[in-house]
Amino acid sequence: MTTRAEFLGSIRQEMAKTRGLFDASPVPRSADARQAEEVVRRQMLERWPQALERFREEYEGVAGVFHRVSSIGEVPGVIRRIAHERRAKNVLSWHPGALGLDLRESLGCEGLAVSVAPDGHPDAAARATHRDVAARAEIGVTGVDWALAETGTLVLVSGTGRPRSTSLLPATHVAVFGRDSLVESLEQTGVMLEALHVDPARSMSGAVINFITGPSRTADIELTLTRGVHGPKEVHAIFVESR
Amino acid sequence: MITCLGDMFFPEVGVAMVTLLRRLGVTVEFPPGQTCCGMPLFNSGYHHDAALVAKRTIGLFAGAEHIVVPSGSCAWMVKTEYAGLLKDDPALKAAAESMAKRTYELSQFLVGVLGVTSVESSFRGKVAYHDSCHLLRGLGESRAPRTLLRSVKGCELVELPGSDECCGFGGSFSVRLPEVSSAVLDKKIANAEGTGADCLVACDAGCLMQMGGGLTRRGSRVRALHLAQVLAPETGA
Amino acid sequence: MSDASLRTPFPQRAHAALEDAHLQEALGIATTKFIGLRRESFAGFPEGEALRDRARAIKEGTLLQLDRHLERLADNIERLGGHVHWAATGEEARDIVLRLCRDKGVRMAVKSKSMATEEIELNEALEAAGVKPVETDLGEYIIQLAHEKPSHIIAPAIHKTKGQVADLFSKELGGRFEADPEVLTAVARKELRQKFLEADMGITGANFAVAETGTIVLVTNEGNGRMVTSLPRIHVAVMGMEKVIPTMTDLMVFLAILARSATGQKLSSYTTLVRGPRQPGETEGPEELHLILMDNGRTRQIAGTLREALYCLRCGACLNVCPVYRQIGGHAYGYTYPGPIGILLTAMLKGAASVKDLAHASSLCGACKDVCPVRIDIPRMLVDLRAELQRKGIASWPERVIFRFARRIMTSPGLFRLGARLGRVAQRPFVRSGRLSGLPLFLGQWTRTRDLPPIASRTFSERWPGLRQTKDLDRP
Repeated sequence: MTTRAEFLGSIRQEMAKTRGLFDASPVPRSADARQAEEVVRRQMLERWPQALERFREEYEGVAGVFHRVSSIGEVPGVIRRIAHERRAKNVLSWHPGALGLDLRESLGCEGLAVSVAPDGHPDAAARATHRDVAARAEIGVTGVDWALAETGTLVLVSGTGRPRSTSLLPATHVAVFGRDSLVESLEQTGVMLEALHVDPARSMSGAVINFITGPSRTADIELTLTRGVHGPKEVHAIFVESR
Repeated sequence: MITCLGDMFFPEVGVAMVTLLRRLGVTVEFPPGQTCCGMPLFNSGYHHDAALVAKRTIGLFAGAEHIVVPSGSCAWMVKTEYAGLLKDDPALKAAAESMAKRTYELSQFLVGVLGVTSVESSFRGKVAYHDSCHLLRGLGESRAPRTLLRSVKGCELVELPGSDECCGFGGSFSVRLPEVSSAVLDKKIANAEGTGADCLVACDAGCLMQMGGGLTRRGSRVRALHLAQVLAPETGA
Repeated sequence: MSDASLRTPFPQRAHAALEDAHLQEALGIATTKFIGLRRESFAGFPEGEALRDRARAIKEGTLLQLDRHLERLADNIERLGGHVHWAATGEEARDIVLRLCRDKGVRMAVKSKSMATEEIELNEALEAAGVKPVETDLGEYIIQLAHEKPSHIIAPAIHKTKGQVADLFSKELGGRFEADPEVLTAVARKELRQKFLEADMGITGANFAVAETGTIVLVTNEGNGRMVTSLPRIHVAVMGMEKVIPTMTDLMVFLAILARSATGQKLSSYTTLVRGPRQPGETEGPEELHLILMDNGRTRQIAGTLREALYCLRCGACLNVCPVYRQIGGHAYGYTYPGPIGILLTAMLKGAASVKDLAHASSLCGACKDVCPVRIDIPRMLVDLRAELQRKGIASWPERVIFRFARRIMTSPGLFRLGARLGRVAQRPFVRSGRLSGLPLFLGQWTRTRDLPPIASRTFSERWPGLRQTKDLDRP
C-alpha cells in the first residue's frame, strides 16, 4: 500500500526536474473573499432586474418553466396548478424553516399529500422514512441559494432541512427564489462560493452544493436529446418579487 | 523554394508562380540544388536526419531576401520547426531563425509582403477553395488565398463545405493508413463535387496530389489546381 | 481493452471499422453534430478564447505545485471526515476498492460514468470479487449490457443505433421495446431507480478536486452522479491525481468552458460539489467518503514529453474533429482512451511501444489542438512519440531503409536529379492517360484508390535554365 509520503515523494522527485522549464502565473483572485462578496451584493442590489431578465431567458433556453408572483403567498397557488396539470398527488418540500413557507397548511387541504424534510439531526429511522417519502414524491419544492443568470442555473446548498433528493428524485422540481439570490456570472458565483467556504459563521450544514441547469437530460442514444433520465423531467422556477 | 513534390510532379505550378511574381515586378532567383525541406523525415520522427536536411536547406537560401514557397506545409516546416531541430547549435539555430523570418507561403507573400490584393488573370471558372491544414492552422492563413481568388474577374469562388477539414494526405499517413486516408478523401471529393465547382484549389502540393489523384481516378469533372495556376493560367496549366 | 482485440493489428481493426455501415453512419451523425454544437457555443462566447488561455495557465501552474495542492486537498477531505487513499498503480486503486467492498459488506455498487475506473478495469475486478457493479449513465448502462467498452470519452454508446439499443434492451431485460430514445430512456430510468435506492456503494470519478476546500466536483447531465453520491452509504471517488485544481475561483474558469467544449451546453445539467460525507444535520448522504488518488503513470510525465496531456479535461472535443476518429470510431483504437488524446494517454499509461501503430494514426492536421479547451499541442506530442519510437528502433526495417534512403536523396542534389531521371524510366509501364496507377509495393497503397501524377518529363529544375532567360512573359 502506497503511503501519502511515498506518493508525494515520487511527485516531488519529478517536479524537481522541471525547475525553470515553465513559468506559471497564478490566476488573479481577490485577497479578501468577504469583501469581494460584498461588492457583488452591492452590484446586484442595483442590477437584479437585468439579471432576472437574463436568468429567465437562459432558464427557458434550457427548458425550464419560469413563473413570477408578487408575494410568497401566491406560491402555493402555482404549485397547486402544476400538481393539477401533472396529475400529481405527492408533494415534498424543504423544511419550512429552510423554504420560508409551510406548504402543509396551504396545500394540505387540496387533496395533495404534502411532506416536509425533517429538521434538526434526523436519526436513522427518520432518514429511512424520508427516503421512502422522497422516492414516492412527484413534486419536489426547494428554495435556491443562488440563481445564476448567465447560464440559467440554480445553485442549491444541501443541509439541515434541505435534503439533496428533493430536487432530484421527484419527476418535477419547483424552486422558489427572490431577488437576493440573483447573480449574473459564473465568476460572481465563484466569489460567493469562496466567501461561503471561508466564513466559519456560515459553514454549511450540508456537504453538497448542486448547480442545476434545467431538467435531467441525455443524448447518449444517437445524440437525440431526451429529458428526465434519472433526475427531474420538468423544472419550474418561481420568482417572488417582494422580499 | 520549389519543394520536392513541386519540382518532380508539379513543375507547371512553379512556372506559374514565377510568371506571376515577375509580372508583379519581383526578381526571381532559383538557388540550384534544392531537394526537400525535410518534413517527411520530421513527421515520422527521424529528427536527426531532418536536422541534416534543414541545415543544408538553410545554406542554400542563406543569401535570399525573401523565400517564397508554393506550399503551406513546407513554409510551415521552415518557419516553425527548423530552429527547434537545430537548437543544439547556436549558430545554426540563429541561421534557422533568420530563414524562418524570410520565408513565406505564396499567398501570404503576395498579400502580406507585396500588398497585392487583386490579380489580373484570364482564368474563367467556378472554384472551391480547400484550406490546407498547415497553412490554415500552422500559419494561421485563410484569408489571403480567398482574397486573391475573389479578385480574379472570371473566377467565381464558392465556399466548400468542410473546407477546413483535412484532405487525408498527411504525408506518409496516406500510405501507412491508406484506407482511412481514402475514406477521408472521399468526403472531401463529395463536398467538392457538391459545390458544382469546376476546380478545387489549394496551396499545397501534398493536398493537390491527394485530391487530384482521387478526382482523376473517379473521372470527376472537377480539376485540382494550385492557386498559382488560377492566378497565372497562361502558363498552360 | 481486451487482449483479443489487441491481437488483431491496428490496420485490420481500422479496416473492420470502415466496413461497418452502422458504425459509419452513427459516427458521421454524432461527430458532425458535436462539431456543430461546439462551434455554435463558442461563436456566441467571445470570452471563450481568453478563458481557454487561463484554463491552460491554471493547469500549468498547478503542476508546478502539485504536491502542495494534493496535500491541501487531502488534509481538507480528512478534516471533513473523508478518507484519502494513495494508489501508485491502477492495480492498487482496484485493490483499495475491493478491500473497501470486503470490509464494508458491499454486494452491489452503482457507478456514475468514470473513465478512470474504465482505465483500471474496475468492473471486471468487482465482478470477480462477487460485487455487482451497475453502470447508471445511460451510455455506460447500454455498453455494460452489451459487454462492450466505451467508444467515445463522453458518449460511450455513440456507436450504437437506436435500433441496436432497443434490441439489446429487449434481449437483456425481457420485453419488447420500441426503437425510440424516449422509450428506451424511460426503461433505463425505471430499471436503475431501484438500484440507486438499494446499492451499498456509489462509485464515481471526479472531473476536478478543489484543493483549498476539499471539494470533489462531478459534471453530469443525467442526475445519476447526484444519486450515486447521495443515496448509498459509501461513496468512493477514483481520480487521476492531475485533476486537482487550487481554488473555487479556478473551478469557475473550467466550468465556463468544459461543457461548451464537450456538448455545446453552457453548463451541464448538474455540477455537483461534494465536500466530505454526510454532515450531522443532513437527512441524506453517505456515511463514508473515500477519495482514491491515482498515479498510474501520470507522475512520470510531470517532467516528460507528454506533460501537456496531463491538462486534459476529458471533454472529447478532439475526438469529434479528428479525421481518423471520425472514420474508425473508438473501439478500433483498442485502448480505454481513443482519439487523438487517447493515443497520448495510452502512451502515458502503457509506454511508447504500446502506440507504435497508433502514433501514426494521424495526418497531423491539427484540428484537435484547435478545439482543445486547454490548447494541448497534440500533434507535437505525436511527432515526439514517433521520434521516441524511432530512437528505440521500433520501426520496421523496410521503413527504416526507405527513410534512410530518403535522407540520402534529400542531402544530395546529384542523387535527387538521378532519382528523377530513373523514376521517369521506371514509371513508364504504369502510365495511363497521363497518370500513374497500379504501382508496386507501398506505392500500391496509394494507387489502389488514387492516381499519382507521373514524374514530369522536365522537372522545374530542368526547366529553370529556359525560364531564367525568359523575360517575355507571354510565352510559356
